[in-house]
Amino acid sequence: MIGRKLECIDAGSEYCPCFLAEANECITCSHLQGREFCDCNWRGVCIYQEYVWAGNRKKEVRSSYPATVMEKRDISQNTVVLRLKVTKTLARQLDSPGAYVFMRDKEKPSFFDVPMSVMAVDVAKGEIQVALQVQGAKTKALAEPEKGIVVRGPYWNGILGQRYLKGVKNGNCLVIARGIGQAPAAKVVAYLIRGGNKVRVIVDPGKVGAVFIGDLIKDLPCEVEELDLNSRQGIKVVNRYLKNENHDLVFSGGSDKQHLHIIKEIDKLAQKPFIVVTNNNEICCGEGICGSCSTRIDSGVRVKACKVQLDVRRVIERRILNG
Amino acid sequence: MVNIVVIGGGWAGCAAALAAKQAGAQVLLLEKTDMLLGLGNVGGIMRNNGRFTAAEEMINLGAGKLFDITDRAARHTMVEFPGHSHASLYDVTKVEPMVRRLLREMGIEIRLMARAVDVIKKGNSIKGILMADDTVIEGDVFIETTGSTGPMGNCLKYGNGCAMCILRCPSFGPRTSISQRAGVEDILGQRGDECYGAFSGSCKLNKDSLSDEIREKLDRDGVVVLKVPTEDIKMEKLSVKVCQQYAIREYAENVVLLDTGHAKLMTSFYALEDLRKIPGLENARYEDPYSGGKGNSVRYLSMAPRNNSMKVDGLENLLCGGEKSGLFVGHTEAITTGSLAGHNSVRLALGMPLLELPRNLVTGDIIAYANEQIKHKDGLKKRYTFAGAEYFERMKERKMYTIDKKEIERRVSRMDLTDILNEKLV
Repeated sequence: MIGRKLECIDAGSEYCPCFLAEANECITCSHLQGREFCDCNWRGVCIYQEYVWAGNRKKEVRSSYPATVMEKRDISQNTVVLRLKVTKTLARQLDSPGAYVFMRDKEKPSFFDVPMSVMAVDVAKGEIQVALQVQGAKTKALAEPEKGIVVRGPYWNGILGQRYLKGVKNGNCLVIARGIGQAPAAKVVAYLIRGGNKVRVIVDPGKVGAVFIGDLIKDLPCEVEELDLNSRQGIKVVNRYLKNENHDLVFSGGSDKQHLHIIKEIDKLAQKPFIVVTNNNEICCGEGICGSCSTRIDSGVRVKACKVQLDVRRVIERRILNG
Repeated sequence: MVNIVVIGGGWAGCAAALAAKQAGAQVLLLEKTDMLLGLGNVGGIMRNNGRFTAAEEMINLGAGKLFDITDRAARHTMVEFPGHSHASLYDVTKVEPMVRRLLREMGIEIRLMARAVDVIKKGNSIKGILMADDTVIEGDVFIETTGSTGPMGNCLKYGNGCAMCILRCPSFGPRTSISQRAGVEDILGQRGDECYGAFSGSCKLNKDSLSDEIREKLDRDGVVVLKVPTEDIKMEKLSVKVCQQYAIREYAENVVLLDTGHAKLMTSFYALEDLRKIPGLENARYEDPYSGGKGNSVRYLSMAPRNNSMKVDGLENLLCGGEKSGLFVGHTEAITTGSLAGHNSVRLALGMPLLELPRNLVTGDIIAYANEQIKHKDGLKKRYTFAGAEYFERMKERKMYTIDKKEIERRVSRMDLTDILNEKLV
């Protein structure tokens, strides 16, 4: 085996080839890594062909759009949900699990951009909802925008293991979401149900201190249970479900520590479900350029976590266990 | 039980699977598209020139089943066309299902739309093949017959872009070089201008798009030769072709059509507007590649270094056949190399010495000769086929070319090799 083949979330999209192709740093195409012959991780289209046909240039880059705040709902002391009016096209592009946008207060410079999971989408109205937990300068400014918000997108790598999400049909799934990790979980639940899956949802208010996706999933045919995942009782219940319910897929929305706990429990099972998790890397530009999300996987290879569908197990274990 | 996994279901892969099965193995054949035979679905020319000798040798060696099919599927036999004698043209619309049925009847497991993407190694040995759907297929010995054509990026870089050929990379994904993934560097063929690769040498026209007169003549004689308008004669086109047996003056000055079910047009590509200037071709359209007016697939971009018993150098349990094993052109050549690889895969699994075909048989000689030539720069620009160019000349010089079936039978039996490829080892 030579050179691990990486799976780029943007491969074949309208934004591919991107800046990385121009720099001979394409994640997928061997020609656009400066090599002489094909040895790609095929995603359904030939990126080199797209690049040459575009005149040896990248395709158009993602745009920033002004977004109007239609509604601001306080969830708890530190968390708000924003309903934003964007374009219908952007709303449609964001209508998939793992979608996220960069947002900032319109009055602030571009380095105030902060990535935010898309929690709900209304394609007909051209609206999206995001949940915002105030943590630092960027989120503080966003929670109290002076003159509206700027949104840049669409981005899609907010969830790792998307191919499993899309591949499991008519199965049995467990969705575990804690704190702000509830936001991306809402679309995961809806998506799994659309695929004919039986879904059990476990929500923990976590640091947010409230369950805020109740309205989004209350009409869906799934069992919802509120638990404290940090309590002995909560862990026991999760472990029992994992052990007894023979899942095809388990989703973890929350911290890396939570992901790791679930992975370890799954390792004890005879039949191992697919693991899908929220991407907790520090994402800053979303384009594979700035390097803030750079993560080492085995044999020291550095990958850009904002674009690459990483193997959950390998990246989480490495980051938490090996520092 | 010996488990053999063949990667790539073209002529070479089918031959390898058959030979391994005949030797007693459990055989799994993996093919990325929905059809076996690969480029053999748009080929069709058998038994022309030295291929007659080779086919008869293979039949006597015990690897005759596929030749039996191509003979039975022949639309025309003993066809003469420029530079070529006693050709037999199989019907490309009939041959694939016949091969598929034969393989299944023999108990070979065929997995279609199954694309190999990587290998799992332990030391210098391959443990398993990683498939595009993330499953792993394990085996004792592996045979790579993935060919050397495409995929799209290569056809673009070294050709005129994807011409939508029968391999259908956009639909089924690209070929993967298994040997290269296992850490053995590929050898690349070159063409006259030292650019890598070479264009496939023929296209197919839809027969119904030709004039009644041409179609009737094709049905009757199997061949039609039409004059190219003087202003459109392009001698330089010959140097980019893989099929050097057809890279002769007559093929630049004439359009040569052969009846293989479609009308096989013996040129790499031909602008449709120009083609339609030729009387009788006013309504012509391409059947394969779909964009034959613009380009064709690019080949010889991925050969594995090997020994003369078809084992890949540097790996303990990988063999190869077909274009993967050298600068070979044609179905006969693929069946020859594939059959030997298939037979030897079982020997390798059992720890037996591997079979090398002797050089006083053309089948043994071409395998050894192509391997010698590939080591030289000039050799990388040549192609090796029983049907023409350098190797057919060599056959004639060495008095190995014959269409006397009795003589060929005698040659094989003198070596005590009769039916060896049909011998059950397990």
